[in-house]
Amino acid sequence: MSSFEQLQQQLKQLPGLGYRSAERIALHLLVEKPGKLPALVAALEAAAQSVRRCARCGHLAEAELCAICADERREHSVVCVVEQVPDLVAVERAGAYRGAYHVLHGRLSPIHGVGPEQLNLASLLARVAGGDVRELILALGNDVEGEATCHYVTQHLPPGGRVKVSRIGFGLPSGGGVLYADPVTLKSALEARREYV
Amino acid sequence: MRLRRITLQHFRNVALAELVLDGPRQFFLGANGQGKTNLIEAVGLVTALRSFRTSDARMLIAHGQPEAAVALELEHERLSVTRVVIRLRATGKEVECDGERVTRLGDHLGRFPTVVFSSQDLQLVRGAPATRRRWLDLTLASMDADYFAALQTYHRALAERNSLLKLGRPDDELAAFEPPFASAAATLATKRAAGASELSAHLATAYARVADGAETPGLHHVPDLTAGDAAAWMAALAKNRERDRQWRATVAGPHRDDLELTLDGRAARDFGSEGQQRALMLALRLAQAEFFRVRSGVEPLLLADDMLGELDPVRRGRFWAALGTGRQVLATGTQPPDAEVGAWQQFAVATGGFTPLPV
Repeated sequence: MSSFEQLQQQLKQLPGLGYRSAERIALHLLVEKPGKLPALVAALEAAAQSVRRCARCGHLAEAELCAICADERREHSVVCVVEQVPDLVAVERAGAYRGAYHVLHGRLSPIHGVGPEQLNLASLLARVAGGDVRELILALGNDVEGEATCHYVTQHLPPGGRVKVSRIGFGLPSGGGVLYADPVTLKSALEARREYV
Repeated sequence: MRLRRITLQHFRNVALAELVLDGPRQFFLGANGQGKTNLIEAVGLVTALRSFRTSDARMLIAHGQPEAAVALELEHERLSVTRVVIRLRATGKEVECDGERVTRLGDHLGRFPTVVFSSQDLQLVRGAPATRRRWLDLTLASMDADYFAALQTYHRALAERNSLLKLGRPDDELAAFEPPFASAAATLATKRAAGASELSAHLATAYARVADGAETPGLHHVPDLTAGDAAAWMAALAKNRERDRQWRATVAGPHRDDLELTLDGRAARDFGSEGQQRALMLALRLAQAEFFRVRSGVEPLLLADDMLGELDPVRRGRFWAALGTGRQVLATGTQPPDAEVGAWQQFAVATGGFTPLPV
């Protein structure tokens, strides 16, 4: 296999890239814009060296703790539990949350071989058992696996209700009307209604 | 609703066909293996995007083609003239309604009811519980997005729970998957019981029109496990864990439900005569059509696949009469239809091609 083909093979294994896109990127890097290559290689190497998981929450970090866990102005006793790093980024982008996070890096799905051991769960339970967490916000999907993961977490919280647990609501999209919502979404929006006056 | 135009492209053995339908009765005449059933199958897709013959949509795409397409022009009670295009690819299905892509199946369900009558239907009376369960699921899910969602959730939760049982995982992991399982099971149980009793009323009316005798038919949901609300289902699952562990699978639940068909209170499968069973299978489909009409407010299309060979001349006459005159019927057969049942627009079918026959 030529080194061009090897590069293409490596690129093809990346998420979201098929054979054609891999070929296009390889050609772009090697033939069209070879000047960009050293910077890309350096960035990859540097990131591979310095990026790791935050020891506390599992988010991307360049030190022991990630930027959020290290930020003293944030409310560290409130923890928002998410499935993946992009979910955390999405909540951050919304700008309405000033607490801390915990990234599970997946959700329970035995048919895909994912059990509690494969997730960043033990450290969450240890964090709660340590007594520094007073509120958990479960921001997992509302499909079967998301729901099961929520139940698993709540089952393993210390008894006595010391920790307040909530789950994010599922309902109408902002700016959306009732007319265009599908029946299943409307149903969960009705179930998640709250007092208004 | 009325079907006015059908276009098929690369659908099974049909390379390209465009049919203009005129009036409420169409008959497709041809030898076996020419593509008659393929047409019925293509039209039936519009209801729930599922084929009545296969669960593998890839089978519908002509050999060597990347995509199959079915386009239907319908006169619809609520949507007036509507054009629905269904595209089938190896990777999935796509629906367009009047040029707008339908992104949620829930929005599509319940709008375009069709009922297929086929020679396989005798299995509904005589076959295994799974056949009747599939029929009930498809009937209810076609009209109720909530049922469809519960069915999907249930099968997903069941697969996850079975996987845990196979792997011998501890109770806390089983307990995590039981809440979604339980709430979906409770929804299915309630809606199946209600749906079966609604269908049973339609069945009685339909049976009287197609049968010789005066027996009263019945249709009852027979749950494999009766629990109640979601909390009761949770308790039932917890109680069954021990046994489920031994079997390494979820032994009891809605995935094992049956529908019981009776004639004067006795099981039609064991005590019904040949003629009674055939009348019952026709009545079941007519009941399904009536259920669709009541639930959706739209007259369903009736698709009769080679039903002539199934029935003697007397029953055949009764069958055509029972279909009614208000509903459009597309029928196939190897022999021309009986003259006394009225005028049909006829097409000759040969090797995937359709030619209108002179009246």
